[in-house]
Amino acid sequence: MNRSILAGLIQLVVTAVVAAAVVLIVLIPFALLQPAPLAVLTSFLIGPLDSVRHIGNIAEVATPIALTGLAATVIFRSGLFNLGTEGGFFLGGLAATAAVLLLPLPGFAAPLLAVAIGAAVGSLACIVPGYLRIRHDASEMVTSLVLNYAILFAGIFVLNYVLRDPAAGAMMSYRIPAEARLERLLPGTRLNSGAIIAVVACLAAGVWLFMTRPGLNLRIIGASPGFATHLGLPAGRIVMAAQVAGGLIAGMAGAIEVLGLYPRFSWTQLPGLGWTGIVVAILARENPFLVLPAALFLGYLQVGGNILSQEVGIPTEVVGLITAAIMLTVTASAIFQNPKLLRLIRRFRRAEVQPS
Amino acid sequence: MTSMLELLTDPALFATVLRVMTPLLLAALGVLISDRAGVFNIGMEGMMLSGALSGVLVSAWIGSAWLGLLAAVLLCAAIGALMAIIVNKLGAHLIITGIALNLAASAATTLGLFFATGDKGMSGSLKSGVLPSIRLPVIDQIPVLGTLLSGHHVLTYLALLAVPVVSLLVWRTPFGLHLRAVGVDAKSAAAAGIRVARVQMLALMLSGVFGGLAGAYLSMGYVSWFAQNMTAGRGFIAIAVEVMGAASAWGTLAAAVVIAIAETLAITMQSLGLPNELMQMIPYVVPIVVLTFWASRRRALARIAQLS
Amino acid sequence: MRDAGPDIADEVPAVAFNGVSKTYPNGTVALSDVSFAIRKGSIHAVCGENGAGKSTLMKILFGLLEPTAGAVLLDGRPVATGAADFAGQHGMGMVHQHFSLIPTLTVTENIILGHEPRKGLVIDRAKAKQLVRTLSQQYDLSVDPDAVTGRLSVAAQQKVEILKALSRDTRILILDEPTAVLSPPEIEELFHRLRDLRDRGMTIIFISHKLNEVRALAESVTVLRGGQLAGTSKLADVPDDAIMQMVMGRAVEVARRVPAQAAGPAVLVVENVSTDARNAADRIKEISLTLRAGEIVGVAGVEGSGQRGLVSVLSGLMKPVSGRIIFNGHDMTVADRLTWRRAGLANLPADRFGQGGAPALSLVENGIAGTDGDEELQRGPFLRRNAIAARVRGMIADYSVRNPGIHERLDSLSGGNAQKLIAARELATRPKFLIADEPTRGIDVAAAAFLHRRLDEVARSGSAILLVTADLDELLRLSDRVIVLFAGRIAAEFRNGAELTPDRLGPFMLGLKAAS
Repeated sequence: MNRSILAGLIQLVVTAVVAAAVVLIVLIPFALLQPAPLAVLTSFLIGPLDSVRHIGNIAEVATPIALTGLAATVIFRSGLFNLGTEGGFFLGGLAATAAVLLLPLPGFAAPLLAVAIGAAVGSLACIVPGYLRIRHDASEMVTSLVLNYAILFAGIFVLNYVLRDPAAGAMMSYRIPAEARLERLLPGTRLNSGAIIAVVACLAAGVWLFMTRPGLNLRIIGASPGFATHLGLPAGRIVMAAQVAGGLIAGMAGAIEVLGLYPRFSWTQLPGLGWTGIVVAILARENPFLVLPAALFLGYLQVGGNILSQEVGIPTEVVGLITAAIMLTVTASAIFQNPKLLRLIRRFRRAEVQPS
Repeated sequence: MTSMLELLTDPALFATVLRVMTPLLLAALGVLISDRAGVFNIGMEGMMLSGALSGVLVSAWIGSAWLGLLAAVLLCAAIGALMAIIVNKLGAHLIITGIALNLAASAATTLGLFFATGDKGMSGSLKSGVLPSIRLPVIDQIPVLGTLLSGHHVLTYLALLAVPVVSLLVWRTPFGLHLRAVGVDAKSAAAAGIRVARVQMLALMLSGVFGGLAGAYLSMGYVSWFAQNMTAGRGFIAIAVEVMGAASAWGTLAAAVVIAIAETLAITMQSLGLPNELMQMIPYVVPIVVLTFWASRRRALARIAQLS
Repeated sequence: MRDAGPDIADEVPAVAFNGVSKTYPNGTVALSDVSFAIRKGSIHAVCGENGAGKSTLMKILFGLLEPTAGAVLLDGRPVATGAADFAGQHGMGMVHQHFSLIPTLTVTENIILGHEPRKGLVIDRAKAKQLVRTLSQQYDLSVDPDAVTGRLSVAAQQKVEILKALSRDTRILILDEPTAVLSPPEIEELFHRLRDLRDRGMTIIFISHKLNEVRALAESVTVLRGGQLAGTSKLADVPDDAIMQMVMGRAVEVARRVPAQAAGPAVLVVENVSTDARNAADRIKEISLTLRAGEIVGVAGVEGSGQRGLVSVLSGLMKPVSGRIIFNGHDMTVADRLTWRRAGLANLPADRFGQGGAPALSLVENGIAGTDGDEELQRGPFLRRNAIAARVRGMIADYSVRNPGIHERLDSLSGGNAQKLIAARELATRPKFLIADEPTRGIDVAAAAFLHRRLDEVARSGSAILLVTADLDELLRLSDRVIVLFAGRIAAEFRNGAELTPDRLGPFMLGLKAAS
């Protein structure tokens, strides 16, 4: 077996142990507050896996965050801290809705075309901060942060004045025609063909990042700008391409979410799945192949939280606490750059080398 | 233009501008202090949320709005200290720590509210305190000026007072000098004998104090209850305000006023039939333009310096 | 603290190192058994090449490092290291080579940073400004107390750095390569000020490797070599060549490369090229140079003599402000890095892990980086895994790179093996022109000898090589011709041969002689 994969596995195991410890540390105090603490733990930890429907729910929740996680992965790999995925997700959903409602898309291709349009429009949320950084040296973090909200209000404007169904009580769009929706895969859940797109996208991005020349060049730029300069790589162009790609994926995620789950577009707040995507990317250590398990893990926690709120009456927000704590521990260099752990990995490697 | 004039003359609108400005200004001053120390507090949104809830809960339990305010301030200062420890001791990424704080605060305040009231959405059932508005003794008597300047919320006055105080703190005190030194070049600051981690922790704690004040204003002044995610992105506008104000206290005040006017206009324009969503975009678009302008100017200046 | 009577103080040295040794936790011996004393009220120079142990010694003096053995005596008394603000308490100030000034603060703010005069809660600005003015007058170093430090010239910033070092009842002033960033008149000015300070009783430690400056300024000198004391003496008692001998070590008979044949056609023609970098150490002035195929041209010079600027300009990382560069018949004066590489440039950068490779990526990835479009390695955009592995295994075998596996990270290799891999990648392109920048610095002798053989082979196969190195053995072993840089100019040019020795290069490198 490939040694680097083994060494990577150690890190993965440590990550998993840390994540599990965090889950328990956050959950146990809540459990102890309840009359039956053990039941709390079992419904949270076992509940999501106890039926096909629940497993389908996990995949359903994991779909959008796998895509936003992938978007964040591609962007972070370029070395920029562009947080535009949240805005891109929102904009992608809105643009896809607008496309199916306003454009004469041919029936059979309508979902695909709408997703493509959503991706293209949504990508702007990442392109603008990326451009301002590369061209004008403006902090991509701050500009992307506020641009997300500018996009939100622009979107609400479009929703209110263009897409809004006056017959519906609240502010929501006209009904999305059935033929434009994504196909449902599992009865009783909202798992849809978007999940397939997410899987394909993650695998394709993994192949692109690790097995192609442009992917290698992107990783060189992100890992060592000095080396990229030495090689003469056109850094500006490559970094910009990563922002475009990340934006396209984020926009696609939003389009899939709306066309896959909802009868109408009704977001009047940022849905927050772009942020969750950042957690996914961090948990996956910016590796597209690991984005899927990371997204499934967060999906599992979310479904566990939902079950908890239904069965025990602990609000599902407890998942947010767990997620935040995992985010911190997973990036903590005190844990993962700990000399003892690094020595352990090295010793493990050496033990591997000897027999060969 | 007429509405701009109206705004400046109509005491009610003037009061609205101040009401909208208060939490932004307080939070932005908190961001400013962290920014100056090189530990940009992107978790301000989460701090405000925590402050808003703790103020409501403590004032309802103890029956004193002031103690509620104190609790909000102390809690957020503690959160700031925790952030500093996580970043400087655990070695977590600063920005990710801020994002995690926002996530955690959103979840924790909802949970806190639920366990305190049994309701996830609003704290309406709690009899929580409200901080008073203040009539200024002498100015109150002056005809026009009195109605304009007197009778605002105590935290509004505090926020305005905090501008010169923060300016003084940053520019005139030894701590402020250390703050500015650490924020620009931590290594050189350490070489001059400054304890960088300590300065950054104090900066984040002070940032928390302002976050607590801003949050308490929302739930004990702006309205008199706590609602889930009631900050609604104000922490991020505060970041934008601070960036627009170029990390100076007076600049931050100016930016906060501009954005408060824009928001107030957005509210009033609605009655004139203008789409308020587009007006609501202004507070978010302006900082992008301003920030880009600053950055490209800085780059041009650096290029000139390189050549000379 | 300063109660020692004047009679005794005259006898007791200001600083005495007693058998100081330092071994770092990773086993590197930085200093072994160094003993010497510095007279109170004198200027004492400390010389030595990079890695000789100068900076470790200064860190120990400053209380930033604990010696493994031995002790430092200040005014004859041992001092406990490790206390916060150790240097300030003992009246020591340091002028760093890379200033420790904060560019956005004013001159006054930088000087008082860490020990601000207070008036209640706020800084007593009047007192602070007065302090700066007093210092400024006292030591005759004029600065504008309100100027923003980053906007001052480098020379003015150095004055601020000196004032900062003097601002705390300083008795011992340490200057680390203070002249590297200054122009000759500024250096003259600085020396004048330093002599003045000495005459007022200040003890000054002057770290430099420019011998002419040491002689012009100091009374006594200590030379370190390889972490050991090579000598310490009054300058009046030692001639230049003796010091040079101490700095550079015993003259070893060098086995020189034999050029394969008469040099080929001109590959690179540099005509009157100058740069205008912000950092004086990167500036080059009116450099003209021709490199022929099959030729190795060595560049000698003390660090900061313009080597960085020359390398940058000849590899597309910096544009000259005047002059012309012709590479292979094409005008490359303003070409960018990629154009240079495509035209046949290869480069072994001095910063191995910062520029030569990506430490976090694998050997495979580092081995094939920059081979975009190589049909053997990729099909369309897709990398051919097996072909790549075979290529990198070939490189590893060819350059005998000891490695834990080709998918391990580059930084899992030792410096020497990493450099061999980087060399394998750069040389695989059969470059027309190779810049080897400190190709063997810090790597073991065997790997260095291996790389030397490879450089020789590459030259024989027709490449033109520019070898920039501070290691004179290496320079003399490999070069066909040697140019000496000093202050950004070519101070001398030699054809290599038995008669060319470090002794002949030394005076030019140290600025004692110049090309007329």
